[in-house]
Amino acid sequence: MRALAVTERDLKRFIRNPFVIIASIFMPLMYLIIMGNSFQGELKHLPVLLVDQDKGPYARRIVELMQALEDGPRTLEITRENDQKKAVDMVRDGFYKAVIIIPPDFSRDVVKNVEPQVGLLLDNTDSISANSISGVVSRATAYLKTEYTPVRPDRSRPQLRSIELYKKIDYDASLVPGIIVMAIFMGTTFTGAFSLVMDKFLGIHESYLSTPLTRFDLVAGTIMSGVLITTIMSIIVMVGGLMITGIKLAGGANTFILLLATMVLTALGLLSMIFTVLGRADHPRIVGVLVGFLNVIFYFPSGAVYPIESLPGWLRAFATVNPEAYAVHAFKELILKGSGFVAVRGDLMFLACFTVFMLFLATLTFKRTM
Amino acid sequence: MAYAAEVKNIVKQFPSVRAVDDVSFSVNEGEIFGFLGPNGAGKTTLIRILTCLMKPTSGHANIRGTDVVKHPSLVRREIGVVSQALTSDLDLTAYENLNIYGKYFDVPKSVRKKSIDYLLDKVDLKDRANDLVATYSGGMRRRLEIARGLIHKPYILFLDEPTIGLDPQSRRVIWDLLQKIREETKLTIFITTHYMDEADVLCDRIGIVDYGKIVALDSPANLKRNIGGFDIIEVTLGNAGPEVMEKLKSISFIKNITEKDESFRIYVEDAARSMPALFEEFKKMGVTTQYLAIHEQTLEDVFIHYTGKTIRETEAQKVSFLIGAGAPRQMPGGRL
Repeated sequence: MRALAVTERDLKRFIRNPFVIIASIFMPLMYLIIMGNSFQGELKHLPVLLVDQDKGPYARRIVELMQALEDGPRTLEITRENDQKKAVDMVRDGFYKAVIIIPPDFSRDVVKNVEPQVGLLLDNTDSISANSISGVVSRATAYLKTEYTPVRPDRSRPQLRSIELYKKIDYDASLVPGIIVMAIFMGTTFTGAFSLVMDKFLGIHESYLSTPLTRFDLVAGTIMSGVLITTIMSIIVMVGGLMITGIKLAGGANTFILLLATMVLTALGLLSMIFTVLGRADHPRIVGVLVGFLNVIFYFPSGAVYPIESLPGWLRAFATVNPEAYAVHAFKELILKGSGFVAVRGDLMFLACFTVFMLFLATLTFKRTM
Repeated sequence: MAYAAEVKNIVKQFPSVRAVDDVSFSVNEGEIFGFLGPNGAGKTTLIRILTCLMKPTSGHANIRGTDVVKHPSLVRREIGVVSQALTSDLDLTAYENLNIYGKYFDVPKSVRKKSIDYLLDKVDLKDRANDLVATYSGGMRRRLEIARGLIHKPYILFLDEPTIGLDPQSRRVIWDLLQKIREETKLTIFITTHYMDEADVLCDRIGIVDYGKIVALDSPANLKRNIGGFDIIEVTLGNAGPEVMEKLKSISFIKNITEKDESFRIYVEDAARSMPALFEEFKKMGVTTQYLAIHEQTLEDVFIHYTGKTIRETEAQKVSFLIGAGAPRQMPGGRL
């Protein structure tokens, strides 16, 4: 079969250029390590100034509560300051994220019950830190008057108890499905259509265009080699990701077969799509620009880093046709939950249809002439 | 007699230039047919039409009777192509290059193996068969590509400027190789070149092309004869008095004569035949020959005669304002 000869040629070339494959495996793993350690759920060590102008009993109580935040969850790092103006300036200059101001009549107001107020001045240019500080400070000040715990709890008050369905998943572990998809994407950008772009750039394509190879032979042959390389890469990245995050693959051989099917279908879908986009490109520079662009528009609205449900409507609509979103969903189900075929059936169906459609487009738009 | 290739009224019109302008000719079976012309004359465009890489705007062409536009997949099995650019795969060895190329043509495994061994031997690359092509010189790559073009035993071999950019030694090796292949296999060869010596040495017939048209088509010898030129005998004479010039002018077979510092340029129709008579005349005049050289008419004279001396302006390629050479260029023949 002629298409297999095209595959053979591509594979031989990649085996002789292992650098690009190694780099493409390394990149998603680095991403996992850096991303996983950069955003660790709750924020920590936010530098905050405290100005106590009251020094009364309730002011001391506030200070204690803030110190509890510093010693317990380590959300804040508190520095005492007496001069309010100086404190505000230091926030303005970026040395601190916020100032907590306890005004002079605070304790009196508490006793008199005339709306005692604690001032919180936030550097709201850093909205993530500002939200976090405002949250923990307001929760803490609510305990101001709770000086004792009631012996008999009020049973009429409803209490929320969250039940975790699965083994606790750390943030970095939840990134693993995403980095597998990232590895697949990387693999599909330097194999497949890119081989033909490089051939055109080097002027080599003329040699096979004058042979009996059909358009389909060329498209299918290069995509086959791409699928093979990409799948192997993504298995390595998955194993590496599991080792780094310490999760054990739930489910047995069945899950692994489903994982493999998802990888192959995702690779096929992306390769066919990239073939459609790059079928007529003739310079690696175009590939560089387009690939960077495609990576952003497919990766971020895929659910790999942020839940799709929380995206704005137009992005959610895009996610319904984003193959990476289906891939991420399937990988999450399989890796983190050990779900069976039923859970990923829809994803696999979509990826299969997407592949057929894109393969058709790729063959249609690919030009066999010079 | 059957024609290996026939071209009838082929026209290829690009947006602003007519690269091939109503060209008709035929190539005989078993001959080496050459297309000689300056850069930009339309040689490559014509070869691309004949090898189904481009569609003509109008006209017909067939290879062994099969139309190149209607049945490209049949034509591709009949032709071997060595394109102008070096197109062997650098990341593969010579053997792999030939093997994979053979698979493109569905050459069965046993036949493929034998052909590869035979061809690598023929092009003198047997010792380097398992080295990556990346380690090869330009001449070696070209030889490999000629072998590759023959892996499926084509009926006709197309070579587009096969020795462009090669050193004189490599060029001669390629010429010898092509002549040997022709002798052994009776293969029809279609070659384009802008080297006169190459066309002269290799071709049975030459078509001189310029501005997309064939301006002359004949054997190299006939082409030279037909432009009605002369051989030039350059001679320096001793004892030559002023009367010598007059005497020489009166000799019937001398068509023209010029003198410069006792050196004469004598124009005759055929130097070989005129020489003995000329020596007789010198003897009679009592002059001695101190220096003598004969310049034969070359194909270069023929070429310049037909194509003139101006350098061809080729169509400027369009380059994107936004991404420069990184954009899909509008090439002659559409997008690459």
